This record gives sequence, structure tokens and C-alpha cells, in this order.
Amino acid sequence: MTPEVKQAIDNDIKTHKILVYGKGTKSMPRCGFTLETIEFFNQFGYPFEVVDALADPAKREGLAEMTDWPTLPKVFIDGKFYGDTDILGPMHESGELKTVLESAFAEAKT
Amino acid sequence: MLVMITHAKIETLIREKLPDAVVQTQDRTGTLDHYNVSVVSREFAGMSLLDRNRLIYAALGEALKDGSLHAVEIKTGTPA
Repeated sequence: MTPEVKQAIDNDIKTHKILVYGKGTKSMPRCGFTLETIEFFNQFGYPFEVVDALADPAKREGLAEMTDWPTLPKVFIDGKFYGDTDILGPMHESGELKTVLESAFAEAKT
Repeated sequence: MLVMITHAKIETLIREKLPDAVVQTQDRTGTLDHYNVSVVSREFAGMSLLDRNRLIYAALGEALKDGSLHAVEIKTGTPA
């Protein structure tokens, strides 16, 4: 991964408390799993950003390397990688996700 | 070219990494390339959900790479 790609990813995940790297965009998702992830985050009411990883192959490659996770979507909350809804779904059911989101957005206010 | 993957192939790939795995699959789309996969193995004990899924993705790497498996939803568990 080039330093430029790493910088761009670091910048993305710092800028957005909830960041989804997906296929397509919020208004035009190009994959059922990306759509499911958008719907998943819509239920919480926190702002989140969707970045189209298909538009930037170098970034897509860099992300796979950095997370050791081959597929899209990839979700970051507060700069930390959480995989996809296979992980977030059970975390939501256990209540763990609520804590993660609350602490992510509590920090944003200070 | 029609590319697809069977339940038996998915099970074989996963059991190469997790010999005790009980593997259930469900074809999501009727096209044999989008699956729900459920894997139960003793090996998952003490592993995070992220690492469990990384292990399954590694097992299925070949099929994901050659496109025979387009997308997979993974559920993991340990035996009761």
C-alpha cells in the first residue's frame, strides 16, 4: 500500500465516525450487502458515510490488506474496523454496538 | 461461462481448515453464488467474531477469488 493510499484511508476514517466502504453509494448502492448495511445503520439515527470502494481500486486493495478482510462492505466506527453486518448484527443483538456508538458520538461533542 | 459453487464444495473448503466443522449453507439467490453459511466448530471458542469470519474467508479464498462464490453471509458458533 502506498503512503498516499494509507493517508487517504486514515483521513476517511478520521473524518467519519461511522464509515462504510461499500459497492456504490448511499443513493445508488450496487450490491445487496451494501444496501443491507445502509439499512442497518439507518435504524440508529447517527450520521454515517458510504464511500464507493469500487471507484478506487488502489484504496480497495489497501483496505483489504490493512484489515485482513477480503470482502466489501467494510465498516469502521470511530477509526476501528468492525467487519460487516455479520459482526455488527450479533453486536447489535447483544447491546454491545449501542455502547460502541454512544461512546463514539459522545467523544465527538467534547 | 456459468460459475457456481455447491454446498459440498463449500463444506470441503471449510473442513480443510476446521475438520470438526458442521457446515450449513443456504443459496440466497437461487444462482449458487450467494450463500448464507453457518459454521459450528470447537475451534471458534475464545475467538472474536472478526477472527472467526477471517478464518472462513481464508478457507473460501479460492472460491471468492475465482468468482464462483460472489458473496457470503457468515454465522459462526461453538457446539452446545
